[in-house]
Amino acid sequence: MLIDTLPGATAAPPGSTVPILSLQKLDKRFGATHALKGVDIDFQPGEIHAIVGENGAGKSTLIKTLTGVHQRSSGEILWEGRSVALASPHEAIGLGINAVHQEVVLCPHLSVAANLFLGDEKTRFGLLRHRDMVAAAQKILDDIGFALPARATLSSLTIGQQQLVATARAATRGTRFLIFDEPTGYLTRQEAAQLFALIRRLKQGGVTIVYISHRLEEVFELADRVSILRDGALVSTGIVAETNEAALIRGMINRSVDQVHYKEQVPFGAEILRTEALSGPGFDDVSMSVRAGEVIGLYGLIGAGRSEFVQTVFGRFAKTGGQVFWNGQPVAIRNEADAIRRGIALVPESRRDQGLCLNLGVGLNVNLSIFDRLTRGPVLDGRAEKTAADRQIRDMQVKAASRDAPASSLSGGNQQKVVVGKWLNHGAKLFIFDEPTVGVDVGTKVEIYKIFARLLKNGAGIILISSYLPEVYDLCDTLHVFRRGRLVASHIGHKAGQESILTEAIGV
Amino acid sequence: MTVQTNDPLATAAPPTTAPRGSRMGLVLSLTLLGLLLLLWIGLSLSTQTFLTERNFANLMRQGSMVAIIAVGQTFVIITAGIDLSVGAVVGFASVIAALLMTHGFGIATAVALTIMMGVAIGAFHGFGIVQLGLPPFIMTLATLTALRGIGLLITNGQTISGMPKSFTDFSLDSYLGIPSLFWMVIGVAVPAYVLLQHTRWGRYLYAIGSNAEAARLTGVNVKAMIYLAYMISAGLAAFVGVLLAARIGIGNATQGEGWELQAIASSVIGGTSLFGAVGSVQGPLLGSFILTTINNGANLLSINPFWQRIITGALIIVIVYSDQLRRKRR
Repeated sequence: MLIDTLPGATAAPPGSTVPILSLQKLDKRFGATHALKGVDIDFQPGEIHAIVGENGAGKSTLIKTLTGVHQRSSGEILWEGRSVALASPHEAIGLGINAVHQEVVLCPHLSVAANLFLGDEKTRFGLLRHRDMVAAAQKILDDIGFALPARATLSSLTIGQQQLVATARAATRGTRFLIFDEPTGYLTRQEAAQLFALIRRLKQGGVTIVYISHRLEEVFELADRVSILRDGALVSTGIVAETNEAALIRGMINRSVDQVHYKEQVPFGAEILRTEALSGPGFDDVSMSVRAGEVIGLYGLIGAGRSEFVQTVFGRFAKTGGQVFWNGQPVAIRNEADAIRRGIALVPESRRDQGLCLNLGVGLNVNLSIFDRLTRGPVLDGRAEKTAADRQIRDMQVKAASRDAPASSLSGGNQQKVVVGKWLNHGAKLFIFDEPTVGVDVGTKVEIYKIFARLLKNGAGIILISSYLPEVYDLCDTLHVFRRGRLVASHIGHKAGQESILTEAIGV
Repeated sequence: MTVQTNDPLATAAPPTTAPRGSRMGLVLSLTLLGLLLLLWIGLSLSTQTFLTERNFANLMRQGSMVAIIAVGQTFVIITAGIDLSVGAVVGFASVIAALLMTHGFGIATAVALTIMMGVAIGAFHGFGIVQLGLPPFIMTLATLTALRGIGLLITNGQTISGMPKSFTDFSLDSYLGIPSLFWMVIGVAVPAYVLLQHTRWGRYLYAIGSNAEAARLTGVNVKAMIYLAYMISAGLAAFVGVLLAARIGIGNATQGEGWELQAIASSVIGGTSLFGAVGSVQGPLLGSFILTTINNGANLLSINPFWQRIITGALIIVIVYSDQLRRKRR
């Protein structure tokens, strides 16, 4: 793995003293999933330490372990050389560890000032001192250079401004170790500049910053050192000034799980779906087509507009421009039921929120799309219902106690098989899979890929959305790259290297 | 239409010896049935008047009306909604039925029109919830208030009387020794059971209550199903309004006060979850007759009627809490 070692990986960090936080052989497992594999990172006081990696590389798990949300499975965490448990968010905050999350976690109905002081209100004789808090909040915001009104209701601000409030809150509570998780995702250029100025000032004040971002240009602009995570393991830690984007991208890409990506080539048939210059919420001017037997991959970072694009095709959102062709005919797909009637199936990103009726039986879940075929007159044919459910459960090898066991009792991988499986009997012609293998183990992944092969053999086409490049790269016949709502590149076959595709998606 | 599956991979289905998922519901139903019988035995031993034909017929008549609206309410609660308007619909429907009959309409026509009006009120609830996006609690709270007002307005606060004797006699009739009002419960419960347990629409109602987003992404017409649930609830409430008019011989807009809470309580005692996706038809039936028995028994035992309310409240807490304990333990 020489290629993955950054230049300067072994160099001593700047101003090397006792690390403020030291991770030693940090390990985290969720059931069968090994999310962090023996990670060793030292964070030096007052440095800006970037962490990069693909989606699913373990960055979020690392943050949650450091902020006390998850407890480590094994390994040591040393705070200023002293072993700490980090058993709760409360303990982490007590040490001075805070995080700014990608999604704003504040109270939208309260004022900016109330949010800044939430849990730490100024009182006199048990009564709130509103005026003092607003004044103090305004002073904090002015001091750190955020032009925001302390009196305003949080929800009246833009998401970017709310993010700045969250940052101000995290930065002003005796924080000595501050983690940013993709903080610029919703920020305008100007807001991002304000945020960077604040981060530099915090660094001068001796605060250690951990900066997680997909945007490598930000890493090079801000960070002193950078650590690369891949599949839960640390690839390397190095000095930013001594590396370059190509080396980082090389380090982020995984080559070791090729054999998992099971694929059978099926001869292509007629075109099923075509979009011409389709525009909608969050994406613009997307033209592409799917043929029978073909797997089309949509790759991009989270928020690049892929999900919005497929949901518009599925009738969830109204298009704002362009045209959809189904079997060569221009069509207007008005809603989800319309799309399903034509033969489009969508397997959504979040199986818990969008895919499953969790407290209902597995049988009901797998039959939900075909109940209209299981009826005799107006009444359900009980035996047909049971037969269909049992066959599906066995075909998909879903490990369930019975067809009546609630879906919530299944493991994540088996839940995903149910979400995918309910479409097998339906006979749809186009299947859209939105991140179908997130949070499932390797064995289940292989089974899901085998389902893909069966669908293709039945003459269906597949659109596969995945943020995991090796997966889309290996499985797809054509790979479209999305960046900020646009289709920026298309690759037929496997001519382009993964490095150049990742570069296109990040836009460096 | 028979079964057609276009899965070419289909093979013979294996016989799975799966435990029934409704076993949980069955345990609760049997527990409630046991409780009901226990109450009856206890009251038979402690009073001389309980186990008389007259009192028992009376009990059935009393319990029938709340039982029917509790069944309708259960359809709504299964979709994770609530229908607060049913009591008001009962009162309003009694007025409409009485007005129609005293203005020359035949009994059958008047009954049909009144029930159709109830269904229309339910459709209006569906419109407010689906099209206007109002929370069910607010939408049905609004019609609860407004329907009482409309009823009082068109009657000028008066009671409408003078309905045909053949109509009012119906509530006192019996068939095969069972009060005709109780036959109405059976007449509602059987189709309701078939709809909820043996049609795809029933499955869809549960699916919507469990995860409306998943149901919609699977092609379920969620909006139409929500309309259906509220139309069933209000339609059955209007039907109960007709029965009430027959029983008390008048139409009065203030009748049915608080029945929505009795219906919800019956449904919840019968195992319906206010979070949706859990509920049955037999549950609210048993629940409503338990409540009616307690009231009836308290009267016979000359317990202060104020205590009846306290006992009912305590019973709701005990039954629902013990049911939750049992579910958690599994």
